Amino acid sequence: LKMMLLQGWLGILFCSIHGMLGSVLDCEVGGVHCTMSIEMLLDRAIQHAELIYRISEETRTQFKETFIPLALVTQQGHADHLCTVILPTPSSKSEVGQISDKWLLHSVLILVQFWINHLVDLQASLDHYDNTPQDLLDKTKWVSSKLMSLEKGLLTLIRKVRWDVLLFFNKNSIADHLASPRTMEHVMRDYTMLSCFRKDAHKIETFLKLFKCRQTDWPGCSFY
Amino acid sequence: ATMWTDSVMLAGLTLTAIFVSHTAGVSAPGRPRLTGCRSPEKETFTCWWEPGDDGGLPTTYALYYHLEGSETVYECPDYRTAGKNSCFFSKNNTSLWVNYNISVVATNAMGSSVSEPVDVDVVYIVQPNTPEDVRVLVVDDDPGPYLHVSWEKPLAADTQSGWITLVYQLRVKETSQDTWEEYNAGMQKGYNIFSLLSGREYAVQVRCKPDHGFWSEWTSPAYVQIPDYMLREHSMWIIVAVFAGFLLFVLTWTVNVKRSSVKHCLLPPVPGPKIRGFDPHLLKSGRSEEMFSALVTQHFPPTSSYDDLLVEYLEVYDVEKQELVLGVKNEDPLAPTRTSDNDSGRGSCDSRTLLTERYAEDGDKGGADRQLGQCVAELASPPLEEEKVEAWSTPFSPPPLHLQRQQVGGARAAYHSVLEIPCDSPCAPGSYGHQGESDISKPGGRGASTTLAEPQAQSAEYVEVQTVDHENVLLLRPLADPGGPDVDYAGEDYSKIRDVIPDNVLLLQREPSAWPCAADPGQDRGERSCPTALQELMQPCKPPGPLQQGLRLVANGYVDASAMLC
Repeated sequence: LKMMLLQGWLGILFCSIHGMLGSVLDCEVGGVHCTMSIEMLLDRAIQHAELIYRISEETRTQFKETFIPLALVTQQGHADHLCTVILPTPSSKSEVGQISDKWLLHSVLILVQFWINHLVDLQASLDHYDNTPQDLLDKTKWVSSKLMSLEKGLLTLIRKVRWDVLLFFNKNSIADHLASPRTMEHVMRDYTMLSCFRKDAHKIETFLKLFKCRQTDWPGCSFY
Repeated sequence: ATMWTDSVMLAGLTLTAIFVSHTAGVSAPGRPRLTGCRSPEKETFTCWWEPGDDGGLPTTYALYYHLEGSETVYECPDYRTAGKNSCFFSKNNTSLWVNYNISVVATNAMGSSVSEPVDVDVVYIVQPNTPEDVRVLVVDDDPGPYLHVSWEKPLAADTQSGWITLVYQLRVKETSQDTWEEYNAGMQKGYNIFSLLSGREYAVQVRCKPDHGFWSEWTSPAYVQIPDYMLREHSMWIIVAVFAGFLLFVLTWTVNVKRSSVKHCLLPPVPGPKIRGFDPHLLKSGRSEEMFSALVTQHFPPTSSYDDLLVEYLEVYDVEKQELVLGVKNEDPLAPTRTSDNDSGRGSCDSRTLLTERYAEDGDKGGADRQLGQCVAELASPPLEEEKVEAWSTPFSPPPLHLQRQQVGGARAAYHSVLEIPCDSPCAPGSYGHQGESDISKPGGRGASTTLAEPQAQSAEYVEVQTVDHENVLLLRPLADPGGPDVDYAGEDYSKIRDVIPDNVLLLQREPSAWPCAADPGQDRGERSCPTALQELMQPCKPPGPLQQGLRLVANGYVDASAMLC
């Protein structure tokens, strides 16, 4: 029995190592059933995150210019505070240093999933306006699609490193959290939402880069 | 009442205080203003403000902030680290992805004022420090040296953990120029710059930027001198150019030295026709006679021009006789127009003076005959052609023999006919000259008595024109000695022309001989006109001077018979 257990563990160990080292066929060559290395997955994820951040910034700016008169801009500070932490994410480098890699990746995944849900609400709200520019709507749709592909990549990545998805969040609670300030105008609420999204997109990008530097020998993470 | 008075007093005091403060120039401070906040490494940040009017009193400033979602107000933890009018937030006080609501309060004895609040999220205000340790190396390479620039990340930026990702940019310029050349280096910390000019000094600067943030300041410039070098291709071309220049110089010098032979080789001269004594211009003018005469006369140098001869043909007269001649001439309606001749204008065909001429030895009598007839015809038509006029201008002179003949030949057309003896049959055939009497008789059956014989050197005699008949024919007769009694104009007195001597002088026979007015029966007119003409000729004039035995030459070859005529 001990021999069997040992063999089992060895097998699992080999399999895990093999899995972690990647498989034979890389997706660079092309093909339906291909595998990607962790580095490649991470690179793709970071590219997604950078794009999402940039589009979120443009969307927010465009929304502000289109819908919010100059007088109300000064009140934006008050709106932003609604972006309270939906889930406990690190807010400083020291805090980030204390988070494990697993948690880092999970935080990203949670954020991505959160915003996939809430951007749908945002789009619905934008459709209600009279003079919503089509470009704005297209951007939000594009961002949603990118978020979804990012989510898929993250899930693949998590499976690759053989981690289990530990955290599940009740979506309702998140929605309640955001829906509480009903006194605000719709416009301001949407604007706040875009601001929060922009912030979280930056978070996603930063966390992914942190994760990359921890996991790989990326030249951008050099000490010197 | 006291309360009322107290309040009044208080109000009065306040007003006084305000009044006093305004007059004294003190007041509450003006509103300060937050100029900006920056985080160099996304871990700490600093905010700066500028004070407003201090109101003339010492004013203190305080910065207060609160985080979003929290009402707790905190004061700035550090006013010193970042300098005056600044607030430094350390790592413990910095939270990311959280908005800070910051405002500054200015306070003095008179009051306080609050600045406009500013919202700051640290992740959006990142501006790193300048890169560190910029080094520039000159690397020798095959075509030319290049610069290798290297640097380090800014001190505080944590790129190792990936907390901050930096991209770099560098710029280069020649120290004497004004424009920079920028290069993006990405995330790497080294860069090579090529194609720099030799012998020049360059300045290099580097800066960096986080993935989302602001560019840092440029580093202080690093100077480097590119050593002098010559491109290999340039040296080769210089050698080739020098060699080619030398070859060209040698070639040019050789050509210059052998100038004439080169020219002869490249452009051989076209040989033109050259015959000595042959003037091709004569061909063009169409005067074939003269041209061929030139060929014939080969022994003489062809260089002398006829113009020289012309000079010798000047007419020489005594003044008196010239006047006479001119007078005679002017009355003559038949005087032909002349363009250019040196003589007094007496024509051969129309003047009443005797025209004598010498025929050529070689017997151009045929030509003479021909021209005799011509001259007659000419007289009928007064205006003479130019060529004949020219011929007049060159009648008789003492030139070389050959040329005489030329001109004589040319002049014959004008002169010869005059010599026709109008009176035909009565004129003694042999009365003129020894030879060729029959020659002259040929044209028109005129009197052939006159001949111009071969030249014989004999004593010269004068002849005079006795009559000019209606056909403009001169009737000649020998002139008697002035002393002789034979001077009888009424009679018909002719003289024979014996000879024409080389000097274009007519030699006349002394003995007077009868000149029959009508040589032929056909010439009734001449017979009749002889005396008539003679009558016309009788004019009062001064008696001739002593008649000389010798010749009386005139410039144009005429024998001056006008004097004798009188």
